[in-house]
Formats: sequence, structure tokens, C-alpha cells
Amino acid sequence: MAEDLVLDTAIRDWVLIPLSVVMVLIGVLRYFVSKLMKGSSQLPDPKIVKEGQVIIRARSLRAGANYIPAKSFRARKAYYSNEENGLLHVPKGQAQNPQAQMFSDPNMAMDMMKKNLSMIIPQTLTFAWVNFFFSGFVAAKIPFPLTQRFRAMLQNGIDLSTVDVSYVSSRSWYFLNLFGLRGLFSLILGEENATDDTQRMMQMSGFGMDPSKTLGAEKDGLDIVQHEWALPKFEQRAEAVLRKLVK
Amino acid sequence: MAGHDNLNGSTEKSGSGMDDLPTFNAENMQNNMKVILYSRTFMAIIGGVIAGILGLTSLTGFIFYFLVMAITSVALTTKAKFSIHSYFDSWNRIVFDGFFGGLMSFVLFWTFAYDIVHIF
Repeated sequence: MAEDLVLDTAIRDWVLIPLSVVMVLIGVLRYFVSKLMKGSSQLPDPKIVKEGQVIIRARSLRAGANYIPAKSFRARKAYYSNEENGLLHVPKGQAQNPQAQMFSDPNMAMDMMKKNLSMIIPQTLTFAWVNFFFSGFVAAKIPFPLTQRFRAMLQNGIDLSTVDVSYVSSRSWYFLNLFGLRGLFSLILGEENATDDTQRMMQMSGFGMDPSKTLGAEKDGLDIVQHEWALPKFEQRAEAVLRKLVK
Repeated sequence: MAGHDNLNGSTEKSGSGMDDLPTFNAENMQNNMKVILYSRTFMAIIGGVIAGILGLTSLTGFIFYFLVMAITSVALTTKAKFSIHSYFDSWNRIVFDGFFGGLMSFVLFWTFAYDIVHIF
């Protein structure tokens, strides 16, 4: 371990603190900008919403199948997965090609682009800003020792091999902020900001998906549910409770 | 210990214990999980700042993090009135959830406070 470096307090006042504050403020700004953009989008297609709701209802039936009597379950199952007019039954040939759907609805692609841009632009700008103003500073020191392997990660932008690895360059401090502030954002901006990224991933994966396919999958799932009533002693229990009440 | 006031999030009763059959209200469960995650992140940040101001380094700091997380677990258990199974489906939830997610925030705020107070 090399001897301790003496860092100028001006670095603290003009690099470390401003950098962190700017990162937080940019995160907040990004949150509100993306909220603004989301608010201006128009209503989704009612047909898609309807299909989604049907799927949710079928799913909850599947989850709660054991809490209703066999007869009721059969009735509901027939309502959903009837071959002729069940809600989950999709006639063949009517399924819309997702590719065609995407072209017919340019808003979808537009939305995606807006979201991605609101993510990428601030990051690129901040990175450029950090690079331009603060390149080459030793800005911070992490309070625990690390091996040489972390040098590339923590001293990005400094080409000195004799500096102790626990010193962090300003560019790497930017990256540390980028990853570590996620927790803070989830506290100050509410939960939806933290889940934003994962939701975006979900949308990406669900983007090219055929809604009729999900309907079909849900139908198959409902078909293979083994019904087994979980509350066989329910009537006796109700009787006991009522008797106690009468007494 | 600072920051236990945040545990007043609504932990609603989600089990009804009928015929010792596990019944859960998924929404309430999710809400409970959210409360746990929230308090863990909060405690990680507060703990990081405290560790930095105290000037803990290397192993002591990480031990401090474990301590803070343990205190959070105990506090959550107390908040649930020691009947974990009426609020969560298993013990793992209250002990381990959000443990590693908080570590990153902890390290960041630890470093930040330590740098501001000690190295310059």
C-alpha cells in the first residue's frame, strides 16, 4: 500500500459534491420528463385492453381454482375455454400479424423511441460533461482495500500504476453514482422509478408477441388444471360457527 | 438507531389461517415486500452515511452493514408482532430480501461521507 495522498479540498468542493448533486438532479429530471412524455400518449386500443383483462381474469380463476366448488369451477372453465364461443377461444386465421400491427400503429414504435431516448440522452450528456470538465482528477477514496484487478474499473482516466487502487477517479465516481443511486431514487421518487427498467424489458419482450398466442396459452393452462376442492370441511365449520352464534 | 420511523408502512394482514391452509392475498403480500425493500434501502443509505462519518474502513464497514441489516430485520419482525407467517410466506423474506440491493447504495454513501469527512 502506497502512502496516503493528500487531496486538495477544492477537489471536494468543486468535483466530488457537484458531481453527485448533478447526478441526483439529473435522475429526478429524467423521471419527470419521462412522466411528461408518458402522459401525452393517447389511449390504447380497446380490443387489446379487453384481451388483457380476459387473460387476467382467467389467470385468477386458475390461481383460485381450489377455493370454489367443482361445479362452479367447471362452469367458469366452460365460459372461458369453450370451443365455440369461449372467451379464450381465438378463431383461426383471425390472428393479426404482429409485424403488420406494428406498422399500422406507429405510436407504438414512437413510444419506445421516446422512452429509450429519455434514458440515453441524459446519460450521454452527463458522461460527456464529466469527461470534459473532470477528466484526470483523483476525486475520492473508497474506504476498503481492493485488488489490482479493480484498477481499470476504479481509476478509469488515470494512467498511473503506483497510485493505490482504492483511490477513485472522477469518471469512475460517475459510474459508481450511476449504479448506486438507484436505491436513493426508489426512495425519493417512489417505487415506479425503480421498476421502470424492468418494466421496459418486459415491454421489449412482449412487444413482438401475438395476443392470440397468449390467449391460447392461457386456455391450455386452464384446461390442464386439476380441480381439487381445498375446503371440504367448510360446511361443517360454518355450521359450528353458526351454532355458536345461536347459542 | 436512526430511521426506524419508516417502518410505519401498512403491513396488512394477509393470511386467514383457515384449516391451516395457506391463503395469501397476493396484493397485500406485494405491498409487504415493497415495505421491506423500502426500509432496507433507507437503512442502507442511513447506515452508509453513519459509517462514513464514523470513519469505518474495510472490514469494519461491512460488519457495520451486516449489523444494520440485522437490526432492520429485528425491527421488521417486531413490527410484524413476531407472527411472520401472517404477513409473509417465509422467513427468508424478512431476513434476506433486498440485502444485496442495499449493498450498492451503502457502499456509495459510505464512500461519499467518508471522503467528505476524512480524506481531504
